[in-house]
Amino acid sequence: MKKLYLVLALLLIQANAFTKETPKSHKMVMAYLYSDDLINILQSIPSPIEISALIKETGATYDRAHLSDPKFSKNYTMSHKKALNLGVYGTDLGYVNLYENNQDVINYLDAVKELAGGLNVGQYFDYDLLKKMVASRNNLGELLRITQKNFEKMNTELQGRKQEDVSVLILAGGWLEAMHITTTIYEKTKNPKLREKIGEQKITLQQLLLALAELKDKPNMGALYQDFDQLRLVYGKVNLITTDGKPVISEDSNGEIVINRDNMSKVELTDATLASIGSLVKGIRSKVIK
Amino acid sequence: MSEEILKALTQLFAIISKQDGGVTEKEREFIINFYQQDLDSATVTEYVALYDRYAEFGIEESDNKSESADGDGEKKKKQRVTRVNDAVKVLSLCRKINKTLTQSQKVIVLFKILEMVAADRNFTSQRMEIIETVATVFNIPKAEYKLIVSFVTEADSHVLVDSEDILIFDDQPPPEGAKAKFIDSGLLDGEIIFLRVNNVGLYFTKYTGEDEIFLNGKQVRTNNILLFSPGSVFKTPKGAPLYYSDLVSRFNSDTERQNISFNVVDMEYRFPNGAIGLRNINLSESSGKLIGIMGASGAGKTTLLNALAGLEFPSSGKVLINGFDLHDPQQSHHIEGVIGYIAQDDLLIEELSVYQNLYYNAKLCFKDLSEEELNKRVVNVLTNLGLDRIMNLKVGNVLNKKISGGQRKRLNIALELIREPSILFVDEPTSGLSSRDSENVIDLLKELSLKGKLIFVVIHQPSSDIYKMFDKMWLMDTGGFPVFYGNPVEAVTYFKKATKQVGSDKGQCMTCGNVNPEQIFNIIEARVVDEYGEFTNKRKIRPEEWHEMYQREFTLDRLPDIKEEPPKNLKIPSKITQAIIFTTRDVLSKISNKQYMLINLLEAPMLALLMALVIRYKYKLDSDQYEYIFRYNDNIPAYILICIVIALFMGLTVSAEEIIRDRKIKKREYFLNLSKGSYLSSKVFILFVLSAIQTITFVIIGNVILDVRDMNMAYWLVLFSVSCFANVLGLNISSAFDSAVTVYILIPLLLIPQMILSGAIFSFDKLNNSISEHGKVPIVADFWASRWAYEALMVHQFKNNPYESLLFDWEMYESQANFKASYWFPEMEKKLIGLSEMAAKMKESGKSDSLMIIVENDLALIRTELLLETQNRPVENVQIDEKVLETYKNFLTEFKPENVVEGAKFTEQRAEDIKKVLDLIKAYYIEINNASREGRDIVLNEYEPESLSKLQNKHSNDFMKDWVRNTNEKIKIVIQEGRLIQKTDPVFFVSRPNHTLDYRSHFFAPEKHFLGTYFPTYLFNVLVIWLMTVVLYFTLYTELLRKLIEFMGKIKFGKSKD
Repeated sequence: MKKLYLVLALLLIQANAFTKETPKSHKMVMAYLYSDDLINILQSIPSPIEISALIKETGATYDRAHLSDPKFSKNYTMSHKKALNLGVYGTDLGYVNLYENNQDVINYLDAVKELAGGLNVGQYFDYDLLKKMVASRNNLGELLRITQKNFEKMNTELQGRKQEDVSVLILAGGWLEAMHITTTIYEKTKNPKLREKIGEQKITLQQLLLALAELKDKPNMGALYQDFDQLRLVYGKVNLITTDGKPVISEDSNGEIVINRDNMSKVELTDATLASIGSLVKGIRSKVIK
Repeated sequence: MSEEILKALTQLFAIISKQDGGVTEKEREFIINFYQQDLDSATVTEYVALYDRYAEFGIEESDNKSESADGDGEKKKKQRVTRVNDAVKVLSLCRKINKTLTQSQKVIVLFKILEMVAADRNFTSQRMEIIETVATVFNIPKAEYKLIVSFVTEADSHVLVDSEDILIFDDQPPPEGAKAKFIDSGLLDGEIIFLRVNNVGLYFTKYTGEDEIFLNGKQVRTNNILLFSPGSVFKTPKGAPLYYSDLVSRFNSDTERQNISFNVVDMEYRFPNGAIGLRNINLSESSGKLIGIMGASGAGKTTLLNALAGLEFPSSGKVLINGFDLHDPQQSHHIEGVIGYIAQDDLLIEELSVYQNLYYNAKLCFKDLSEEELNKRVVNVLTNLGLDRIMNLKVGNVLNKKISGGQRKRLNIALELIREPSILFVDEPTSGLSSRDSENVIDLLKELSLKGKLIFVVIHQPSSDIYKMFDKMWLMDTGGFPVFYGNPVEAVTYFKKATKQVGSDKGQCMTCGNVNPEQIFNIIEARVVDEYGEFTNKRKIRPEEWHEMYQREFTLDRLPDIKEEPPKNLKIPSKITQAIIFTTRDVLSKISNKQYMLINLLEAPMLALLMALVIRYKYKLDSDQYEYIFRYNDNIPAYILICIVIALFMGLTVSAEEIIRDRKIKKREYFLNLSKGSYLSSKVFILFVLSAIQTITFVIIGNVILDVRDMNMAYWLVLFSVSCFANVLGLNISSAFDSAVTVYILIPLLLIPQMILSGAIFSFDKLNNSISEHGKVPIVADFWASRWAYEALMVHQFKNNPYESLLFDWEMYESQANFKASYWFPEMEKKLIGLSEMAAKMKESGKSDSLMIIVENDLALIRTELLLETQNRPVENVQIDEKVLETYKNFLTEFKPENVVEGAKFTEQRAEDIKKVLDLIKAYYIEINNASREGRDIVLNEYEPESLSKLQNKHSNDFMKDWVRNTNEKIKIVIQEGRLIQKTDPVFFVSRPNHTLDYRSHFFAPEKHFLGTYFPTYLFNVLVIWLMTVVLYFTLYTELLRKLIEFMGKIKFGKSKD
């Protein structure tokens, strides 16, 4: 049995991502991207695993047509393409893993392995991780924890190699794919929960753009940045209303005192906006996976 | 004699007798005698009657009586008419005779006529006129005719025409200045005169004296003209006998003298197992003799022949040719080309025609002859041996004869005869031949001996005529004992005398001259009869006894050694010309063997077709779309291995039999002293050409079917090299072993290890620990050509294909940098941390020996690795952080091994220093890694993604990539003997040598080191294969393998029985 590679450790969301109010979270906007703060940025980007779980909850049937074809993994020769599509396939892998389609798991595993090897991060997809993934298939919390930890390790390594751009691209690709799946399924099912989720991504997009901005002068990155920027414009029409909830004091793992507030959020977006988001995402995605 | 001829002769005799007075009684008696020799009494009467009628015996007289009345004028007119009629008749008779009788027979007829006339001494002019006419029509030269007439008519030699063709056997020599030859006969009344009729090689003799002379045991009448035939002997009462051979050699001694002396002195020969093969051999001969060797079976005839010819080495004694020792390698060059040897088995090239066999042999012997002259000579010899009509027939082999056995034998003889060696050894030339063919052969040999050659012939059961042709006979008994050496006919007498048999003075039959050599052996091998009258196995006289008798009775007349170089008829062409001749001959021989050509040329393309079609499978692009894509053909690495194995196989099988097949021919050509180098070169050349053709057809078909692009030449070069290597290897084996079967059994022994140690089936890392080590290919594998070939092709295919060649350098830097940063650095760091911990521990609890050892080792490792790192050159064309580059460069130049101290001096501070160094190295590699990645992307950016994808699909192969990058190996780095060994991406890094001659490296390295420079793997590997080929050529030339096997055969196991 082949290993299960879970790239999607990258995109993870803690249940209360938006509500975590740490002093650093504001600073990060100014922070020089290539620093230790990157972890936080990346942490604030929702995990496609959660989205996949959500999709499954809505009762949508498994449909592989939404996903990127794993065979194309062999076609990506440039490193930025590799990184982006690693993210894409990671999302796909999470999706098929949740739906427990084992043959497809193996196929996407191969794709992920191929690209990870090409980026020299193959060692972060070892058998142990795989076993854990499969074992905790049905325990979302555990799954998220495992994948996050792995992502952190990999990210540290990439940082050590001064290859943070790889991290960013992986994230971007994964997020893009998650968006794509969600929008496509929403078109079919019109599930309100999904709609909300889509709207919430406005914030994630902002974070992503910050990260991508640092890359936009690199070869091939300019176009990508532009595309994402386009998306941001469209998202301009989406309104997020957050109402602060009661603050909660707790200690985190380091012994520091953290104040959390349960924020309530509400998403306002029109059907037209939704539609244009969907088509724009499709467009960007098709360029990415070409 | 046929009736017609007899009739014609009768008429002739009759007409001549009729002249001038008609037939006399004596003449008639002569005629009757003549008939009685050959015919039965009834026929004799018939022919005598015929003679009478033609000669008008009895009628003439009556005619004369009755017609005397007509008057003289009429008679004269009638006589004239009769004379004219007779003349015409004579002419027509002679012409008729011309068509049937041979020249010798005609000469004899002439003699008979003259004898008949001489019976009465009635030499009338008319008769002589007619006889002269007869001689003219018989094409007998005038001078010869005159000589013959003189010989027949004159009674005394002094009155005879003086000529070279006369020999006098007398006690008084002819006068000074006489052309006639002379042999001293001792006391003799009168003379025995010999006449040689040159044209036909016949000798006639007559005796003019009154003594009792015996020719072949029969008494000779005075003035009787007799034919002195081969084997004849004159015995005089007081003088020495005169043998035919002595006569002949005296006649010839002035014409063609060949200066050869052949002396064998006390030769003894022992077989390898110690038994004695020949003993007490003493021989002394000069040129112009035909010597026969006969013996009981097991007597050692062939052994003797071989020892005399120089093929076997005697254990003691010498064979001296003109004073030069035949068996001394120092002196042997004087005797080059002097000896010829015709073996019993035929040594012919089966695929060539009779003419071609002889032609190429001649070419090797006579470098100075033009093509025309060569052709003439060849045709001449063939005609002489009666092979001219089958000139263009293929020889064929023993199982598939195209020419008969007799013809084969004659061709064998022709091969030696054409160069007329001065000394010729012939082994049973007549066995298996018809009696007519046998006579032909011995005739030829006799002719050669008359020309002055010395010829030794082992002969078995010769006919009487053949037996008598020999000048001397050498007889041997079982066990190598010489028992007789002398005149052949005398042998009979000798042995009869020895056993006191009746009629022992008669060597040959009185009436017919027949000699029965079987008699001799019957006497020699006579067995004892037991009391029941049965033959026992015990011999009456043992070989030793015969030998003793021989020693007593015979004294050898030793001839002095002639002090000049023996004459050589051989002019062997230069080595290059020889090589060309060998090549031409071999090619012709191969081409005419259709089966051989077909199989060898078609084998390769058929195999390629089979394999390539079988392993070409389509890749599933989509649910219903299948296409063949080179990139996704996982069978390519295996294909490469099988290509190599096939090349090896074909190379070996083609060459395995080559030398064995030629063995017989080499045996014959041994005496020509041809160049071994030329022979081997020609073989090698032909095999190489064949290899080239086979491999190119193979590569073209295989690669085209499997879509291996743009690399045909590269593939071909490797496969060709491998095939050539196998060729020379096969030749080695072919020359070391005697039978083809042994060779073929050996082939798996040579090929299977090639597969096992090629590195393609069993990984070199995972072999028996005694031979495998991390980071280097085992030395055992370096001896097998397949390992070099496989590596060369894999590396070349991966690295130099049009897609990868764009990226290789960048990928190499990236891989190296990644390895150093992600694997090498963490290991080093781990060691350092461990060291610090141990140092701290020892500080606390005191020094511990075991810990110190570990500390020392770890420090040594760090030291070595850092030192090796300094051998790196900074990457050239990348843009990285200046500071990082600076610090790295400084490190390269300034680092000394002493910077990493000994264990005793190791401190916390030291650890810090080392850590700093490691950090700067890591920083450098991180930069390089990113820069390489960027560089690579820049290159890729220049292409349209679609064309890039196409390029990749056509030229690169994913499965192969996994092989050469060792993708499936989980362990990326390993510690061995104080070094960190890289296991991943072997194709992207180069092994560092330990010393200048260190060529060893890991498998799939892109470059190899030797003598201070780095060579591309493909080139290096191909050169290694050629080096091995050259070495094998030397072992072939020096016959090392054969000598090794012989040496091993000499090692005795257990006690030897002596």
